[in-house]
Amino acid sequence: MAAVVGSPRARRLEAVLIYVALTALTLAFLFPLVWVLGLSLKTRLQVFATPPLYLWWPTLENYAAVLTRADFGRAFLNTLIVSGSAVLLSLCVGAPAAYAFARFPFAGRSFLFFALLVMRMLPPIAVLVPMYVLFSKLGLATTRFSVVLAYTTFSLPLVVWIMRGYFETLPVELEESAWIDGASRFGTFVYILLPLARPGLVAASILCLQLAWNDFLFAAVLTNNATQTLPVLMAAFNAGDSGMDWGGLTASGMLVIVPVIVFSFAAQRHLVAGLSSGAVKG
Amino acid sequence: MKSAEDSAREVNRPAVAFADRRVSAGRLTRGTLDRYFVHAAVLPTFVVMVCVFGLPLVFSFYLSFTGWSLTQALFTGRFVGLANYEDLLTDPGFTGALGITFGYTAATVAAQMILGLGIAMLLNVDLPGMRFFRTALIVPMMITPIVGALCWKLLFDPSHGVFNQWIGQQIVWLGRPDTALAAIWVVGVWQSTTYVTLILLAGLRSLPPEPLEAASIDGASRMQAFWYVTLPMLRPFLLVALLLRTIFEFRAFDNIYAMTGGGPANATMVLSMYTYLMSFVQFDFSLGAAAAWLMLLMSMMMCLFFIAAIRRRETL
Repeated sequence: MAAVVGSPRARRLEAVLIYVALTALTLAFLFPLVWVLGLSLKTRLQVFATPPLYLWWPTLENYAAVLTRADFGRAFLNTLIVSGSAVLLSLCVGAPAAYAFARFPFAGRSFLFFALLVMRMLPPIAVLVPMYVLFSKLGLATTRFSVVLAYTTFSLPLVVWIMRGYFETLPVELEESAWIDGASRFGTFVYILLPLARPGLVAASILCLQLAWNDFLFAAVLTNNATQTLPVLMAAFNAGDSGMDWGGLTASGMLVIVPVIVFSFAAQRHLVAGLSSGAVKG
Repeated sequence: MKSAEDSAREVNRPAVAFADRRVSAGRLTRGTLDRYFVHAAVLPTFVVMVCVFGLPLVFSFYLSFTGWSLTQALFTGRFVGLANYEDLLTDPGFTGALGITFGYTAATVAAQMILGLGIAMLLNVDLPGMRFFRTALIVPMMITPIVGALCWKLLFDPSHGVFNQWIGQQIVWLGRPDTALAAIWVVGVWQSTTYVTLILLAGLRSLPPEPLEAASIDGASRMQAFWYVTLPMLRPFLLVALLLRTIFEFRAFDNIYAMTGGGPANATMVLSMYTYLMSFVQFDFSLGAAAAWLMLLMSMMMCLFFIAAIRRRETL
């Protein structure tokens, strides 16, 4: 921890400077979002006012318009179904593998782990091109199932890394005593380790949910009007025939990011491990 | 033969090594299900990986050596050798995209590293309220990228955007070749600087305090202590942040799709955008697959650097 050194006077001055710098940075980082939040609370006339309005009576008409659109509700539901299923699938598939990675030596262990890392890091577009061709020939393209499968390319590695790290922190003695008491490997995993690993499972789910919720590219290619997700709908607001719909765009944008902001605060403690592919522990 | 990872585990984690030994010793005395437990645990992951990752990549490798269109049946494309790759490498659109991708990645990552390190140093000072700043600063990174980019697009709007209203001009920021890429760069830096900050902050917190104390006792100025003590100790974390940001900026897509679509006049055409347009707008999947494989090879190389960096110490 870098302690502030020097005379009390110098120390106070330095603290003030640090606060000023951080406040300026925070204002700059949040300005685009705050400004757009403001736009979403303006009427059409107020949005286009020159010079820009800084004080006005906020209106919720844009939100009312967005929330009564049939396609917004459908896209919301699609996003929820698709990202929820991707997280569930990745947890069911990835958690046992993470346990194996954490505790057991097996042939191909290093290779498989390397492949998982590569799977998360390669450009999604490179996987998406052949995936789209294969899915459309199999009749899977534009289904929600195809999007769920595509999302496992990033959520499965994330689950395995986070859960492997978590299982490694659990004491081995627990499993040993269960084995001595005659429990099977499988029983030990399901009844002893999984309940203990619940915080890790929650963190992994939240981080995966956030990535899946935010995805645009996979969903843009693998969905149609009926199965599109929120980010895809957002991009469509941008490219309408009648130009950009400022009210719809700003209000729906704010609605789309509310859940992710909640997720990210919930998973703050695990963010670093998730971001760095397990290379740095938070 | 033992991999570096396994031997690192044995050295660093006696508890785990002990568990490994126990497991292999106990293996013969267990039932069949127990004997194959590890395989059963890994198999589903392996199957999913083959389906969503292995097979598509093998298929696109095959596709990149054929001339094929979506109306044909699978595997009926004509073998054309390296023609697709030759076409790409002689297409000024592709080589231009290659240059723009490298330039954009280098400029964005450099700014993220410098700004991210600065913010991490500020946040590492022990003062009340740091949690608030940390939380506020990660918001741009967490929100949906396409929404963030669209917000910036509104700010840059030529007639109603707030930037033009402030300076009283009507600059078409995203429609001019000289400003479009700079605007995309600003958004990239805004979005992911705190990614670097979080990794470096975790690094700063994990550093032992003694070397810094020794330096200050020896009369080093704070600048010297930062430059000669903190930075060298932070090197592994700087390397991880640098490699991860390079890998992720190299595949940049969402911001560019939302703000410029690769235009104006290809000024923001990065490789992801090029591959996307080639495959899903022009429907030339053979050329798209070849472009995808060239991207894959380049990012695979970066991944190898990353793995070599984290193998040295399995976790920092």
